[in-house]
Amino acid sequence: MITTGVDVGARNVKVVIQEDGKVRGKALVLAGLDTEAAIEEALDAAFKDAGLARDEIEKTFATGAGRKEVAGADDSYTEVGADAAGAIHLYPDARTVIDVGAEEGRAIRVDERGKVVDFAINERCAAGAGAFTEAMARALELPLEELGPLSLTSTKAIPMNAQCAVFAESEVVSLIHAKTEKRDIARAVHDAMATRITSMARRVGVVPEVALIGGVARNPGFVDSLQRDLELEVLIPEDPEYVSALGAALLAAGIGK
Amino acid sequence: MIEMFQEWYENRHEYAKDWKDKTGGKVLGYFCTYIPEEICLAADILPVRILGSHEPQDVTEPHIFAMYCPFCRDCLAQGLEGKFDYLDGIMIAQSCLHIRQAYTSWDLHVPVDWSYYLPMPNHVQSPRAVPYMVGELKAFKEAIEKWTGKEITDDDLMRGIDIMNRNRQLMKQVYELRKREEPPLNGLESMYMVVSSQMIDKEEHSRVVEGTLKELDNRTLGQPVGTRLMVLGSENDDHEFIDMVESCGSTFVIDDHCTGTRYFWDEVSPDGDPLTAIANRYVNRVPCPSKDWPVRTRVPHILSLAEDWDASGAVILQQKFCDPHELDIPAIKNALEEQGLTTLFLELDVTVPVGQFKTRVEAFLEILQEDDLF
Amino acid sequence: MADKTKYKTAPLKTWQRAKEIRANYYRNYGTAHEKGGLRWGGGAWSFDAIPAGLGDDVYPITSEPYGATIAFQREFSDQCLEAAEREGYARDLCAYMRNYWGSILLDKYGWVEPGEERKPFPKPDFVWQDHICCSHAKWYQVVSDLEGGLPTYCVDVSVGPYEHLSENGMEYVVGQMHDGIEWLEQTTGRKYDDAKLIEAVYNTCRSTSTWAQICALNQTIPAPLEEKTMYSLYVLGTLQKSSKDVADFYDELLAEVQERVDNQIAAVEYEQARVMTDTQPPWGFLRVFRYLENVYGCVSVGSLYTFSLIGNWIWDDEGRFVPRPTPQSQGIEIKDRDQALHVLAEWELSKPEWQHFYHPKYKSDMMIQIAKDWKLDGVVLHYNRGCEGLSLGIAENRLAILEAGFPVLIFEGNMGDEREFDEARTMARMDSFMESLDIPKLEQ
Repeated sequence: MITTGVDVGARNVKVVIQEDGKVRGKALVLAGLDTEAAIEEALDAAFKDAGLARDEIEKTFATGAGRKEVAGADDSYTEVGADAAGAIHLYPDARTVIDVGAEEGRAIRVDERGKVVDFAINERCAAGAGAFTEAMARALELPLEELGPLSLTSTKAIPMNAQCAVFAESEVVSLIHAKTEKRDIARAVHDAMATRITSMARRVGVVPEVALIGGVARNPGFVDSLQRDLELEVLIPEDPEYVSALGAALLAAGIGK
Repeated sequence: MIEMFQEWYENRHEYAKDWKDKTGGKVLGYFCTYIPEEICLAADILPVRILGSHEPQDVTEPHIFAMYCPFCRDCLAQGLEGKFDYLDGIMIAQSCLHIRQAYTSWDLHVPVDWSYYLPMPNHVQSPRAVPYMVGELKAFKEAIEKWTGKEITDDDLMRGIDIMNRNRQLMKQVYELRKREEPPLNGLESMYMVVSSQMIDKEEHSRVVEGTLKELDNRTLGQPVGTRLMVLGSENDDHEFIDMVESCGSTFVIDDHCTGTRYFWDEVSPDGDPLTAIANRYVNRVPCPSKDWPVRTRVPHILSLAEDWDASGAVILQQKFCDPHELDIPAIKNALEEQGLTTLFLELDVTVPVGQFKTRVEAFLEILQEDDLF
Repeated sequence: MADKTKYKTAPLKTWQRAKEIRANYYRNYGTAHEKGGLRWGGGAWSFDAIPAGLGDDVYPITSEPYGATIAFQREFSDQCLEAAEREGYARDLCAYMRNYWGSILLDKYGWVEPGEERKPFPKPDFVWQDHICCSHAKWYQVVSDLEGGLPTYCVDVSVGPYEHLSENGMEYVVGQMHDGIEWLEQTTGRKYDDAKLIEAVYNTCRSTSTWAQICALNQTIPAPLEEKTMYSLYVLGTLQKSSKDVADFYDELLAEVQERVDNQIAAVEYEQARVMTDTQPPWGFLRVFRYLENVYGCVSVGSLYTFSLIGNWIWDDEGRFVPRPTPQSQGIEIKDRDQALHVLAEWELSKPEWQHFYHPKYKSDMMIQIAKDWKLDGVVLHYNRGCEGLSLGIAENRLAILEAGFPVLIFEGNMGDEREFDEARTMARMDSFMESLDIPKLEQ
């Protein structure tokens, strides 16, 4: 069965087309202010990527904060359900799924059937999402994609307040003025974020295997800090930001329910 | 000798473990300075105050909702991370709600042989408080006797009272010296003295304080005193912050917080029944704001401290989310300003943005220094 | 699609009476002086039975419901909150307090008659308060500051959990009550009437026992009441549980709810799932309940909060959590002031909502029992930034409830500060939770 999953996130729209559990095509488009247009654009790009025509799709499920804006979706799932479905499909042994996106971080516990048992979402006073690293990259005057690799070259851990993103930004400014090396500040930023995410994940209980998904999984600095905090290695899929959309597509096909 | 206090503060766990090895006695962790230490000492127990480590942590979120103060979460983190695994027991004397959760979550999740909740009364301004407290102290004393397997006699209680009082008297003498135009020790050093007294065998601490007093007689700070400041707050062992302020051309000469004067200010008047004397002391001591009602007795006390120690400015520190202090701060601020002091208000977390705070402190001191000129 | 059961529904007949009682309450407080009466301010648990001994023309305003009343009126509430903040009071302080102080600062009464202009805030003649959380006594310390000084008396009830209540603890509380009565006489110049006190104590016990019996009926499937409506009903007990009107009302309500149970009348037409909540709800956003009911057929049958804020319960000899029978129904006859105060203190100190102040385990046990006996599918916890007292230990309650096998959803918010509640995010969480419990939307 060929199905489409549309994940309308806070920042980006992701589309995944799957057939019998395998990805046929995918696309990512900045959501911007005109979400509907972005959704259309993403769908078109995904169909093109898959080499399929719109009418070959049997079902479309939507997910993400803006899921209600997907006109013509047959049904919708919340990000929690879609994350779980997608992650378990890729890693059947995963019992904890951590999703760190642009605006929100989530931790989900699943049982052997892949069923959601508990979930936690990062609360206010939280430096637990991609927007935090973006702000810190700006403060350090670095392109975002350099922040992670730079932090890996650090050998020094500097504790940074991880409850309040505003406080943390203050501390970065202080560190810059104190002429701290950028690599060490970069590491501190990732450590702070990892502390926040770990703290949240501990609410639901961290049970291996742990799958890490969402755009921030591409940040090697964050991954390193997180693995140190959790004291285990996390499983990261090839296209971490597409897992939710994949989950929605799988649910549409009746896989992963 | 004055360096000893900082050493004790920094090596508190090693000290307690050594003490246990040497004496074979019990170490009791406590969360609030309203606990009747006199009774613990009468039972030859070492009470150690549980404080945080000022490091970010990620273990308390499942246990304490983040709207409660960072301090109580930092304290709980020490327990969950095993830093206090040598404790034989824990206790709390009822005061604020936030720290109470550090105690109850510790009780639930950190294995410990003995735990006690002492319902210290809050209506300390009522004549009913002392008789109530006496009853609770009797029950507490019995519980301790059961735990240690040893009876506590009135003589033991008097001994406990004497030890505590001696330490309080000595600390007061140290603080008297800070009234001088050239105080022989600064706020950071005083802080180490008080906070270490909350973790160390009191008699040992008193001996070192005695020795230090002799040293202090002829000591000077080695730098200009600068602006004389008072610091007010809840629990403050933020040495990095205190040090930073004192490096900006100022000296803390007096304080009102619970790792400061509130801890040792009042002695037990040993008249009559020891338990009644102890109850009187704790009911009538300088209060935590959660017990300071309906009359605000803290205000005249703080004003008189500021006057007697000749402070020209007050740094008001408030632990983020601390409700009792937030409820007092407008009244205290107004009263201080009416008396002619300039105030600086800062909100603390377990780590502080020293850089950002330095800017504000420097601006604050500039204002004060200008005032001095006129 | 599985067949959905459709239940009979019917509006509550006693609803109008409840509204009347509440309206009269706020009116009486406002107009108290017009006929030489007195008015006082204090907490909802302030032993209102005691000032009742000063006369029949003594009218209270209880602070928490007043704070909630303001919170319902979101625009006015924002103004009150901002006024309190301008005065230097921190945003994370109890939201009820800030609403109340704001209404003093703006000199605007939170209660406004439909179609009328808002009147100035009626200043109380004295304060009669109880101290339960760190903020309680100090709330009125600030009120007194803002009102230019008010005679204030506050009873401290922090004597440990009921199951360990000692004679020493009882004497402390009763002693303060005795002192309080003398203080009331001196402050008001009125002679105290012990007979009125005794009546008021009986009423207090009756109100709170009856309310608990009403909540117990919600064990029925389908539930005859849903929580949003229950808030408008329990509130009367928070206003004046010592009044005969309130106690009589609950008797009437109990009869009606029993009738609904006998006739299988449901609160939610397509009830297919049952949850309970905890802590005060976000008062400005009660539509969250309607969302769950209308979209998922999910009824909130109540909460330990709704059941026992003014309801009294007890663990019986068989380990069941049941409404506490009144002293009068057990043959106790109050003869004098001292006995009245002892009965009142003992009754109120057994209140379930007070126990968690000493340890979360007391509350966890009760919540788990409710989840079992009220046959729940899950629990929804409001991590309420507006109230440090009732959110105390909530994270440990969550762990205990999960361990007992009940799924739990948490959402953050604030009962009295609408700026701290993210409606869209909260609704999304509700969806995720229903999804995880396999509760399908009704519309399918």
